Amino acid sequence: MPKPKAESKEKGLDFGAAYKELENIIEWFEQEDVDLEEGLKKFERGLQLAKGCKERLKEVENRVTEIKAKFGALEDDAAEQEPLL
Amino acid sequence: MNAFTVSQFIEFVNTALSTAVFPEGVAIEGEVVEYRVSQQKWIWFKLKDESSVVECFATVWQLRTPLEDGMKVRAHGMAKIHPKSGKFSITVERVELVGEGALRRAFELLRKKLEGEGLFDLARKRTIPRFPARIGLIASRESAAYGDFMRILKNRWGGIDIRLADVAVQGRDAIPEIVSAFRWFNANPRSVDVLVLTRGGGSMEDLQAFNSEEVARAVFSSAIPVVVGVGHERDETLADYAADVRASTPTNAAERVVPDRREVEAFLDGAVKGMDASMRAALSGRAHRVESMASRIEAHARHRIDEFRHLLRDFASRFDRFASGVREKVAACESSARLLKTLDPRRPLEKGYALVWGPDGILKDAASVDAGTMLELQLRRGRLGAKVTEKKT
Repeated sequence: MPKPKAESKEKGLDFGAAYKELENIIEWFEQEDVDLEEGLKKFERGLQLAKGCKERLKEVENRVTEIKAKFGALEDDAAEQEPLL
Repeated sequence: MNAFTVSQFIEFVNTALSTAVFPEGVAIEGEVVEYRVSQQKWIWFKLKDESSVVECFATVWQLRTPLEDGMKVRAHGMAKIHPKSGKFSITVERVELVGEGALRRAFELLRKKLEGEGLFDLARKRTIPRFPARIGLIASRESAAYGDFMRILKNRWGGIDIRLADVAVQGRDAIPEIVSAFRWFNANPRSVDVLVLTRGGGSMEDLQAFNSEEVARAVFSSAIPVVVGVGHERDETLADYAADVRASTPTNAAERVVPDRREVEAFLDGAVKGMDASMRAALSGRAHRVESMASRIEAHARHRIDEFRHLLRDFASRFDRFASGVREKVAACESSARLLKTLDPRRPLEKGYALVWGPDGILKDAASVDAGTMLELQLRRGRLGAKVTEKKT
């Protein structure tokens, strides 16, 4: 499995999905009886997700792209006619 | 003087009005009276002041500003004479509401209408993604609102792609530009995760575009969820009502659209700690269980061993008793055998004694036989026949 860090460099870690998965893992751990073997797997996955998410938090800049389209021309409002009086 | 035909006259006047007299159209301020709509298409009203009245005409699709008798407005349009009726009127293209009263009244009228159509229904509100990666921003790049929004956004979260539609947020271009920005984003709804429409505070007149039917409908009908943050805390606009998320200010719009990285970081730290604690608890629980199981097994085993030992001891003592009984019996037998041996009637014969057998068995009394009786003598080895010759008493 690729490291989350790599994921975030390449295509962008799906932060929402990672966060949700981590929440589910936490919820799983809050159950009464934690199965050790399963727990260990989830623990490892959880650490990986948390690490990936924290890595993503280091991004501080937001990128702005201005849309070049000309706004204001409402093409389909033009063709109205007036009634006969 | 050459006379016009009627048609020529009307055409001449209309051409003169549109080219020479009012080449840029006309704006007339007055009070709306006799407002009516026919066939749901045509709007008629009159504008009047203290002494004069002028006819006005508009189409329903062009004139979206809600009007009512008594409102003070500034009507923009063209003056013309209608050939068939000979009526002089203003063909109104747009209307500006004049004064707080008219704006407030129009706001209420439109709010009721749109509310009746369900544009503000809470059930229709969509949730926005928790962690939007791409935001479509509809704002004026030069506005303080834009700066505030971007600043707070950066304080809270990073790595977002923002696509900015730089639009007018007041004046006559505001409505068409905002509406077409919504259309632009919705033509490709996957391009952004959420739309943010924002503008700083201002008078009700400044905020007119955000109270327009066109913008409210554009917000409502957007396929992409919309956050609207217009004005100050207390300002409310129809665009706000139609939004999926209604933010109170541009700053609040940034707060509503992205989480705070500090909170998320705290969650992540807590998550790691929580998982660690759970694993430790599970491990120590397991160890405890193993220990208690081991001690239970040990106790059980010890109990079995004790039981076995007890059995063994019991068996040994019973066996001892049995063995000594046997030994006693053997000794008794041996002594009986010895006794028997000493009692053997043949033992005296070894020494030379003889047994005398009469007709009635072993002879013990001489008187029991007469002379002449045949006897038998049993020796150590062999027997002899004998005859009684004499009896001596």
